[in-house]
Amino acid sequence: MATMLSWILVVLGQVLVAIGIACDLIAAILMHRLRSFYLRIHALTVGSIGGAVVPLIGAALIAAGSDFLGTYRWYVAGGAVVTAAITFIMAGAGTHAIARAVLRTRAVEEEPSSGA
Amino acid sequence: MDAATLCLAMIGFASLLSVFATIMAVLDRDLLRAALFSALQSTLYAFLFYVLMAPDIVLVYVAVAVGIYPLLIVLLIKKVGRFEEVGR
Amino acid sequence: MDLESWVTTFLSYAIPLYLLAFAIYVARMFREPRRVPDLVLVVDALSYDLAAFLVILSILLRTPITIPCAIALVLWIYALDIYVAKYLESKELG
Repeated sequence: MATMLSWILVVLGQVLVAIGIACDLIAAILMHRLRSFYLRIHALTVGSIGGAVVPLIGAALIAAGSDFLGTYRWYVAGGAVVTAAITFIMAGAGTHAIARAVLRTRAVEEEPSSGA
Repeated sequence: MDAATLCLAMIGFASLLSVFATIMAVLDRDLLRAALFSALQSTLYAFLFYVLMAPDIVLVYVAVAVGIYPLLIVLLIKKVGRFEEVGR
Repeated sequence: MDLESWVTTFLSYAIPLYLLAFAIYVARMFREPRRVPDLVLVVDALSYDLAAFLVILSILLRTPITIPCAIALVLWIYALDIYVAKYLESKELG
Protein backbone atom coordinates (compact mmCIF):
# COMPACT_ATOMS: atom_id res chain seq x y z
CA MET A 1 0.00 0.00 0.00
CA ALA A 2 2.83 2.32 0.83
CA THR A 3 4.37 1.58 -2.55
CA MET A 4 1.12 2.49 -4.30
CA LEU A 5 1.00 5.79 -2.39
CA SER A 6 4.63 6.49 -3.30
CA TRP A 7 3.90 5.95 -6.98
CA ILE A 8 0.88 8.23 -6.86
CA LEU A 9 2.90 10.99 -5.15
CA VAL A 10 5.80 10.63 -7.57
CA VAL A 11 3.66 10.67 -10.71
CA LEU A 12 1.66 13.65 -9.43
CA GLY A 13 4.92 15.48 -8.69
CA GLN A 14 6.31 14.63 -12.10
CA VAL A 15 3.24 16.10 -13.79
CA LEU A 16 3.77 19.32 -11.84
CA VAL A 17 7.49 19.40 -12.72
CA ALA A 18 6.65 18.86 -16.40
CA ILE A 19 4.18 21.76 -16.29
CA GLY A 20 6.87 23.86 -14.64
CA ILE A 21 9.45 23.09 -17.34
CA ALA A 22 6.93 23.97 -20.05
CA CYS A 23 6.13 27.28 -18.32
CA ASP A 24 9.84 27.94 -17.94
CA LEU A 25 10.59 27.53 -21.64
CA ILE A 26 7.50 29.54 -22.60
CA ALA A 27 8.57 32.38 -20.29
CA ALA A 28 12.11 32.36 -21.69
CA ILE A 29 10.80 32.64 -25.24
CA LEU A 30 8.25 35.30 -24.25
CA MET A 31 11.08 37.43 -22.83
CA HIS A 32 12.39 37.66 -26.41
CA ARG A 33 9.09 37.93 -28.20
CA LEU A 34 7.08 40.45 -26.17
CA ARG A 35 7.73 43.98 -27.31
CA SER A 36 7.60 46.26 -24.26
CA PHE A 37 8.59 46.26 -20.60
CA TYR A 38 5.05 46.14 -19.24
CA LEU A 39 4.27 43.13 -21.40
CA ARG A 40 7.45 41.35 -20.30
CA ILE A 41 6.20 41.54 -16.71
CA HIS A 42 3.66 38.88 -17.75
CA ALA A 43 6.54 36.70 -18.94
CA LEU A 44 8.22 37.11 -15.54
CA THR A 45 5.03 35.96 -13.81
CA VAL A 46 4.83 32.90 -16.05
CA GLY A 47 8.47 32.18 -15.26
CA SER A 48 8.28 32.70 -11.50
CA ILE A 49 4.88 31.31 -10.54
CA GLY A 50 4.46 28.72 -13.30
CA GLY A 51 8.16 27.98 -13.68
CA ALA A 52 9.27 28.02 -10.03
CA VAL A 53 6.38 27.58 -7.60
CA VAL A 54 4.68 24.74 -9.48
CA PRO A 55 7.84 22.59 -9.95
CA LEU A 56 8.83 23.26 -6.32
CA ILE A 57 5.51 21.78 -5.16
CA GLY A 58 6.11 18.93 -7.59
CA ALA A 59 9.62 18.39 -6.23
CA ALA A 60 8.17 18.28 -2.71
CA LEU A 61 5.71 15.57 -3.80
CA ILE A 62 8.47 13.60 -5.54
CA ALA A 63 10.68 13.82 -2.45
CA ALA A 64 7.83 12.75 -0.18
CA GLY A 65 7.18 9.72 -2.36
CA SER A 66 10.81 8.67 -2.84
CA ASP A 67 11.48 6.06 -0.16
CA PHE A 68 15.04 5.53 -1.41
CA LEU A 69 16.09 8.98 -0.14
CA GLY A 70 15.70 7.84 3.47
CA THR A 71 14.41 9.91 6.35
CA TYR A 72 15.93 13.11 4.94
CA ARG A 73 13.28 13.18 2.22
CA TRP A 74 10.96 15.00 4.62
CA TYR A 75 13.62 17.66 4.98
CA VAL A 76 13.72 18.06 1.20
CA ALA A 77 9.92 18.16 0.98
CA GLY A 78 9.59 20.75 3.72
CA GLY A 79 12.36 22.90 2.29
CA ALA A 80 10.76 22.80 -1.15
CA VAL A 81 7.38 23.84 0.23
CA VAL A 82 8.94 26.71 2.19
CA THR A 83 10.84 27.86 -0.90
CA ALA A 84 7.63 27.70 -2.93
CA ALA A 85 5.76 29.81 -0.35
CA ILE A 86 8.54 32.40 -0.21
CA THR A 87 8.75 32.56 -4.01
CA PHE A 88 4.99 32.93 -4.25
CA ILE A 89 5.10 36.07 -2.10
CA MET A 90 8.47 37.53 -3.09
CA ALA A 91 8.13 37.24 -6.87
CA GLY A 92 4.94 39.26 -6.93
CA ALA A 93 6.21 41.83 -4.42
CA GLY A 94 9.51 42.37 -6.26
CA THR A 95 7.80 42.70 -9.63
CA HIS A 96 5.38 45.25 -8.23
CA ALA A 97 8.24 47.27 -6.74
CA ILE A 98 10.08 47.39 -10.06
CA ALA A 99 6.93 48.17 -12.06
CA ARG A 100 5.93 50.94 -9.65
CA ALA A 101 9.36 52.55 -9.81
CA VAL A 102 9.42 52.38 -13.60
CA LEU A 103 5.90 53.75 -13.93
CA ARG A 104 6.57 56.68 -11.58
CA THR A 105 9.82 57.71 -13.24
CA ARG A 106 8.68 57.00 -16.84
CA ALA A 107 11.91 55.09 -17.34
CA VAL A 108 10.55 53.20 -20.35
CA GLU A 109 7.99 54.15 -22.94
CA GLU A 110 4.44 53.26 -22.03
CA GLU A 111 3.24 50.66 -24.45
CA PRO A 112 0.42 49.62 -24.40
CA SER A 113 -0.66 53.02 -23.15
CA SER A 114 -2.67 53.36 -19.95
CA GLY A 115 -4.64 56.23 -21.49
CA ALA A 116 -3.73 58.63 -18.70
CA MET B 1 24.05 9.46 -18.27
CA ASP B 2 25.76 9.15 -14.92
CA ALA B 3 25.89 11.85 -12.29
CA ALA B 4 29.53 12.81 -12.81
CA THR B 5 29.09 13.52 -16.53
CA LEU B 6 25.97 15.51 -15.77
CA CYS B 7 27.75 17.60 -13.15
CA LEU B 8 30.67 18.28 -15.51
CA ALA B 9 28.26 19.36 -18.25
CA MET B 10 26.49 21.76 -15.87
CA ILE B 11 29.81 23.16 -14.63
CA GLY B 12 30.91 23.86 -18.20
CA PHE B 13 27.58 25.44 -19.06
CA ALA B 14 27.51 27.77 -16.05
CA SER B 15 31.16 28.74 -16.52
CA LEU B 16 30.61 29.58 -20.19
CA LEU B 17 27.60 31.79 -19.47
CA SER B 18 29.40 33.55 -16.60
CA VAL B 19 32.29 34.47 -18.93
CA PHE B 20 29.90 36.42 -21.17
CA ALA B 21 28.32 38.10 -18.15
CA THR B 22 31.75 39.15 -16.87
CA ILE B 23 32.77 40.57 -20.25
CA MET B 24 29.58 42.64 -20.38
CA ALA B 25 30.10 43.85 -16.80
CA VAL B 26 33.59 45.06 -17.66
CA LEU B 27 32.73 46.70 -20.98
CA ASP B 28 29.47 48.41 -20.06
CA ARG B 29 29.56 52.20 -19.60
CA ASP B 30 26.32 52.23 -17.60
CA LEU B 31 27.43 51.29 -14.11
CA LEU B 32 24.02 50.18 -12.84
CA ARG B 33 23.75 47.81 -15.78
CA ALA B 34 27.25 46.57 -15.03
CA ALA B 35 26.15 45.84 -11.45
CA LEU B 36 23.25 43.79 -12.78
CA PHE B 37 25.57 41.82 -15.07
CA SER B 38 27.75 41.23 -12.04
CA ALA B 39 24.70 39.91 -10.18
CA LEU B 40 24.04 37.53 -13.07
CA GLN B 41 27.63 36.31 -12.89
CA SER B 42 27.28 35.82 -9.12
CA THR B 43 24.10 33.81 -9.57
CA LEU B 44 25.84 31.54 -12.06
CA TYR B 45 28.82 31.16 -9.72
CA ALA B 46 26.46 30.22 -6.88
CA PHE B 47 25.09 27.49 -9.13
CA LEU B 48 28.65 26.42 -9.87
CA PHE B 49 29.48 26.13 -6.17
CA TYR B 50 26.28 24.16 -5.65
CA VAL B 51 27.19 21.63 -8.33
CA LEU B 52 30.66 21.35 -6.80
CA MET B 53 28.89 20.28 -3.57
CA ALA B 54 29.81 23.25 -1.38
CA PRO B 55 26.45 24.32 0.07
CA ASP B 56 28.05 26.27 2.92
CA ILE B 57 29.99 28.37 0.43
CA VAL B 58 26.77 28.91 -1.55
CA LEU B 59 24.96 30.27 1.50
CA VAL B 60 27.68 32.84 2.15
CA TYR B 61 28.39 33.62 -1.50
CA VAL B 62 24.74 34.31 -2.34
CA ALA B 63 24.39 36.64 0.64
CA VAL B 64 27.56 38.55 -0.20
CA ALA B 65 27.61 38.59 -4.00
CA VAL B 66 23.89 38.83 -4.78
CA GLY B 67 22.78 40.71 -1.67
CA ILE B 68 25.35 43.00 -0.09
CA TYR B 69 27.71 43.74 -2.98
CA PRO B 70 24.99 45.20 -5.29
CA LEU B 71 23.70 47.22 -2.33
CA LEU B 72 27.12 48.82 -1.85
CA ILE B 73 27.51 49.34 -5.59
CA VAL B 74 24.07 50.98 -5.90
CA LEU B 75 24.81 53.28 -2.94
CA LEU B 76 28.12 54.27 -4.56
CA ILE B 77 26.46 54.87 -7.92
CA LYS B 78 23.98 57.14 -6.18
CA LYS B 79 26.93 59.21 -4.89
CA VAL B 80 29.21 59.32 -7.93
CA GLY B 81 26.81 59.25 -10.87
CA ARG B 82 25.65 56.49 -13.08
CA PHE B 83 27.48 56.87 -16.38
CA GLU B 84 31.16 56.32 -16.80
CA GLU B 85 32.93 59.17 -18.61
CA VAL B 86 34.52 58.29 -21.94
CA GLY B 87 38.10 59.21 -22.73
CA ARG B 88 39.66 59.04 -19.31
CA MET C 1 10.99 -0.35 -13.60
CA ASP C 2 11.40 0.45 -9.92
CA LEU C 3 10.66 3.80 -8.36
CA GLU C 4 14.25 4.97 -7.99
CA SER C 5 15.29 4.54 -11.63
CA TRP C 6 11.96 6.01 -12.77
CA VAL C 7 12.53 9.20 -10.74
CA THR C 8 16.20 9.41 -11.78
CA THR C 9 15.38 9.00 -15.47
CA PHE C 10 12.68 11.64 -15.37
CA LEU C 11 14.80 14.19 -13.55
CA SER C 12 17.75 13.52 -15.87
CA TYR C 13 15.57 14.42 -18.83
CA ALA C 14 14.39 17.55 -17.01
CA ILE C 15 17.91 18.96 -16.65
CA PRO C 16 18.70 19.79 -20.35
CA LEU C 17 15.38 21.59 -20.68
CA TYR C 18 16.14 23.73 -17.65
CA LEU C 19 19.61 24.51 -18.99
CA LEU C 20 18.07 25.46 -22.34
CA ALA C 21 15.71 27.86 -20.57
CA PHE C 22 18.65 29.40 -18.68
CA ALA C 23 20.54 29.86 -21.95
CA ILE C 24 17.56 31.62 -23.53
CA TYR C 25 17.25 33.90 -20.48
CA VAL C 26 20.94 34.81 -20.58
CA ALA C 27 20.72 35.42 -24.33
CA ARG C 28 17.93 37.92 -23.59
CA MET C 29 20.32 39.91 -21.41
CA PHE C 30 22.63 40.55 -24.38
CA ARG C 31 19.90 41.68 -26.76
CA GLU C 32 18.60 45.19 -27.32
CA PRO C 33 16.65 46.86 -25.71
CA ARG C 34 19.00 46.48 -22.78
CA ARG C 35 17.71 49.01 -20.30
CA VAL C 36 17.95 48.44 -16.57
CA PRO C 37 14.31 47.39 -15.90
CA ASP C 38 14.49 44.75 -18.62
CA LEU C 39 17.67 43.32 -17.17
CA VAL C 40 16.17 43.20 -13.68
CA LEU C 41 13.22 41.21 -15.02
CA VAL C 42 15.55 38.69 -16.66
CA VAL C 43 17.78 38.30 -13.58
CA ASP C 44 14.66 37.77 -11.45
CA ALA C 45 13.20 35.10 -13.68
CA LEU C 46 16.57 33.36 -14.01
CA SER C 47 17.09 33.25 -10.25
CA TYR C 48 13.63 31.97 -9.35
CA ASP C 49 13.97 29.22 -11.92
CA LEU C 50 17.45 28.46 -10.62
CA ALA C 51 16.01 28.01 -7.11
CA ALA C 52 13.53 25.44 -8.44
CA PHE C 53 16.35 23.77 -10.36
CA LEU C 54 18.51 23.51 -7.23
CA VAL C 55 15.75 21.64 -5.37
CA ILE C 56 15.29 19.22 -8.28
CA LEU C 57 19.05 18.73 -8.44
CA SER C 58 19.22 17.94 -4.73
CA ILE C 59 16.73 15.10 -5.26
CA LEU C 60 18.65 13.83 -8.29
CA LEU C 61 22.08 13.93 -6.64
CA ARG C 62 20.73 12.58 -3.29
CA THR C 63 22.08 15.52 -1.30
CA PRO C 64 19.17 16.72 0.85
CA ILE C 65 21.42 18.92 2.97
CA THR C 66 21.70 21.52 0.16
CA ILE C 67 18.07 22.71 0.33
CA PRO C 68 18.68 26.00 2.25
CA CYS C 69 20.67 27.35 -0.71
CA ALA C 70 17.43 27.72 -2.70
CA ILE C 71 15.75 29.64 0.13
CA ALA C 72 18.73 32.01 0.50
CA LEU C 73 18.86 32.62 -3.26
CA VAL C 74 15.17 33.57 -3.44
CA LEU C 75 15.40 35.92 -0.46
CA TRP C 76 18.48 37.79 -1.68
CA ILE C 77 17.18 38.19 -5.22
CA TYR C 78 14.15 39.94 -3.75
CA ALA C 79 16.56 42.29 -1.97
CA LEU C 80 18.24 43.06 -5.32
CA ASP C 81 14.83 43.99 -6.76
CA ILE C 82 14.21 46.40 -3.92
CA TYR C 83 17.62 48.10 -4.29
CA VAL C 84 17.14 48.75 -7.99
CA ALA C 85 13.54 49.91 -7.50
CA LYS C 86 14.59 52.33 -4.76
CA TYR C 87 17.42 53.67 -6.92
CA LEU C 88 15.11 54.20 -9.88
CA GLU C 89 12.58 56.01 -7.72
CA SER C 90 15.10 58.30 -6.06
CA LYS C 91 16.72 59.36 -9.34
CA GLU C 92 14.75 60.42 -12.37
CA LEU C 93 16.68 58.14 -14.66
CA GLY C 94 15.85 55.14 -16.82
